[in-house]
Amino acid sequence: MELVYIFVGITVVGLTAYGLQIWAIRKILCENEVPAGKGAARGFCPPISVLKPLKGLDDNLFDNLESICLQDYPEYEVIFSLQDYNDPAYKVVRKIRDKYPDKNITILVERCEVGLNPKVNNLIPAYRIAKYEHVLISDSNVFVNRDYLQSIVKLMSDPAVGLVSNIIRGSGGRSLGSIFENLHLNSFVLGSVCFLDRFLKMPCVVGKSMLMKKTDLDAIGGLKAFKDVLAEDYMIGKKMQQQRKSVILSSHVIQNINEYWGVRRFLNRHTRWGKLRWRIGGVSYISELIGNPVFMSFFPLVLCGPSGMTMSFVLIVSTLKILGDMVIGNALASTDAGSSSSGKESTPSSFLSVHSLWYVLAPVKDLLIGLVWFVPLISNTVVWRGNRYIIGKDSLLSPCPEVGLWSWRYRLADAIKTRLA
Amino acid sequence: MLLCDFHIHTKYSDGSVELQRTVDLFGQAGFDVIAITDHVVNGDSSFGKLAHRFRFTINEKNFHAYMAHIREEADRAWDKYRMLIIPGVEISKNYISSEKSAHILLIDIKEFIPACWSYEKIFLEAKAQDAIIVACHPHHSSEITTRDTLFLWKNRDKYAKYIDAWEIANRDDVFNVISLKKYPYIANSDFHRARHIYSWKTMLNCEKNVDSVKNCIRHNKGVAITLFRN
Repeated sequence: MELVYIFVGITVVGLTAYGLQIWAIRKILCENEVPAGKGAARGFCPPISVLKPLKGLDDNLFDNLESICLQDYPEYEVIFSLQDYNDPAYKVVRKIRDKYPDKNITILVERCEVGLNPKVNNLIPAYRIAKYEHVLISDSNVFVNRDYLQSIVKLMSDPAVGLVSNIIRGSGGRSLGSIFENLHLNSFVLGSVCFLDRFLKMPCVVGKSMLMKKTDLDAIGGLKAFKDVLAEDYMIGKKMQQQRKSVILSSHVIQNINEYWGVRRFLNRHTRWGKLRWRIGGVSYISELIGNPVFMSFFPLVLCGPSGMTMSFVLIVSTLKILGDMVIGNALASTDAGSSSSGKESTPSSFLSVHSLWYVLAPVKDLLIGLVWFVPLISNTVVWRGNRYIIGKDSLLSPCPEVGLWSWRYRLADAIKTRLA
Repeated sequence: MLLCDFHIHTKYSDGSVELQRTVDLFGQAGFDVIAITDHVVNGDSSFGKLAHRFRFTINEKNFHAYMAHIREEADRAWDKYRMLIIPGVEISKNYISSEKSAHILLIDIKEFIPACWSYEKIFLEAKAQDAIIVACHPHHSSEITTRDTLFLWKNRDKYAKYIDAWEIANRDDVFNVISLKKYPYIANSDFHRARHIYSWKTMLNCEKNVDSVKNCIRHNKGVAITLFRN
């Protein structure tokens, strides 16, 4: 019975922590009240090189890439970098360039294999040809509003600032996997990033948007220093802070469009991210399990069996979690309203962040995430873009040996998968 | 080369994605030419009656609304993605026997053609409307959920003269009999769900306008097929 009380206690702690995360999110979003064009009005509009690494077709790719080309900003260039002319994204960027011949758009196709991180490999050639001192690394699966550059660059006017990242909001779910993904981005990921930023003053950079100065990035070794690191975003933020440069989380919300994901893709991504956090965070990774109140609320049910009490407990915790997710959803939706009223809105109306009915799926998602949490404890390998790697300390990648026991283990797994397919 | 898909269904028949979303899916992925080809199902069989009952078919009543909607989307797709949309239908003659069943794409159709007409009548009317005639999935397919439509292949000696192209590949299947017979060919997705976008496609080496595309398919020169994967 004592064990049950312990799990009830942990669940309550998890709910409290989630409450604090919600508070942190709302606090950061309120900072959006600062007029977007303030920096520009002060005259701080340095030219920016936007680097867009591309690999394959992301959901909503055309709109995502178009949105970065339609910024209300005086001077900037966009560099789309690919490794291969046969990449399906190449056709899309060519259409974008043809559609906007007056914009400063460069398509760079160059194979670069200096490291094991394919995103960094893709970025290195683009970084080399970037003309301007301010460099923005922006992922291809994000959609941004027209005032995005204006909003984030104002934070760079302080010379002590080394990196500006953004709040990410999952949008556009049209399949179960993408609904789970968006629910998770808009609760756990967003909550954790804001919580760490507000309460622990820890930079938690999400690489979907990173604005830096070349001099600062070069001072920490440039992109090449992160060529074999899986969590290059987090490590760049950490190194910046070690260089006594501030890492700022901008309250400007950018949308990560996930429309047609399968559940397997959702699970794969969060298994990979979990392995990252386990290798980077170590023991603090346990806090993630404690911070999953829905998963923890099932332990009394499992230990004591189904009863009115245990079922009610699960139901109450799940309801509170759903309500919490809805509060965050509403807070994020209000940022849209804010940009609309300022005449800066460019988000397609079809992108509802998360349909209100889908929130009922949040407990199911939390249960899955709770199960996924255990995988990093027994496996330290990831398959990324078709290659298998071992993750070491600080997410340092090393190729998985294709000999001996390793080789047979994966050959057997692949054979079973093929047979099942 | 133009990246093309000439076999796409929407919620107007048994597709699961609305027309506008379908257009956006293909536009966002960089396609150059697509044809929207919802089913026109025969009403003279039990299968056909079910399709009519559950409105999984274009009929004479909604045909003009369907065409108008495609035209509207075609304008939008051209403005936004520089993607050409050609209206079409898939005449679906469904019977219990696979050997009696046949599906025929009519691309760039102008007026409604009922599926219960005879094959000759359908082909001649399509020719009169200057539509492209494509025999769909003409051989045994690997998908368990799909019923084979073998009538045109079994009767190819009689009907091949009417057919502008045969589907040599459909979604994940390849029908090598088409190449063995040296018939003109194209490859399509038979798109019903979002994931079907990753499937066999046609590449055409021609100008991006309806007449050039039709001529390219008819003459079957500058036609290639590709397995579109992410």
